[in-house]
Amino acid sequence: MAHSNDTANEGRQLRPGLWATINERYPGSMITKDDFVPLARLQKPLSETRLSFVSSAGVQPVGTLPFDVAHPVGDYSFRRVPSTATPAGLEIHQIKYPTHGALKDLNVIFPIERLQELAAEGVIGSLTPSFFSFIGYNMDPERFERTLAADIADAVAADGADAVLLSPA
Amino acid sequence: MQRAIEGKGIPTVSLTVALDVTEQCKPPRALFVPFMMGHHFGVPFHRELQRRIIRAALDCLIEARHSGEIQTIPVTWAQARQEGNRIERDATTALKSKK
Repeated sequence: MAHSNDTANEGRQLRPGLWATINERYPGSMITKDDFVPLARLQKPLSETRLSFVSSAGVQPVGTLPFDVAHPVGDYSFRRVPSTATPAGLEIHQIKYPTHGALKDLNVIFPIERLQELAAEGVIGSLTPSFFSFIGYNMDPERFERTLAADIADAVAADGADAVLLSPA
Repeated sequence: MQRAIEGKGIPTVSLTVALDVTEQCKPPRALFVPFMMGHHFGVPFHRELQRRIIRAALDCLIEARHSGEIQTIPVTWAQARQEGNRIERDATTALKSKK
């Protein structure tokens, strides 16, 4: 595993030991893999690439069924967020991360306006019609992989994505 | 999630603020940012920083040579917050002087 820019300038992790902490508190909930998946390669320049965005921040269009943040095993559904949406038309239904920044400016966790700008400027070729959103509280990693991960992978492919940016929350 | 999409032949890159978690789940490509949970793209109203994070992540799509590579970016949370506070303060001042 390569770590580039290993200099004094490099920022340090704010919460070291997070994996061990969560794994102790929620046994069996953390995903651990022993192998690496083969890399798919970008087939065209970024300026011609259709990009999608996938987020576990629980961002969803106002008026869609809120994520179930109280379910003990988690919510394994996802919402489509039109890539043309504005922050005013979106809201957050997730309680497992600090949202004080996102409530002022959604772009700190769901940078929809920055992606729209980069696409308008031609840095990115275009955006998929939908972005994809779920909540990052899924206590059953096997079920997560079998259902939600597969469902979003299918939806991203069906939306014609050439590449995908993902962000946990 | 990321591995499932990459498995469809679509290149992917993710952000992370938790290096040890990412090392365990081995996504194909990642960019580590030393920011607070819920603030992966920086701080409110800091458009330039938000753009810089996105572009650095997209660069990983082009530059990563091996599956599992985790890139870093020379930013710190302290500096991001300082700059963000200044941006918010300036915006507030500008708003007041308009009234």
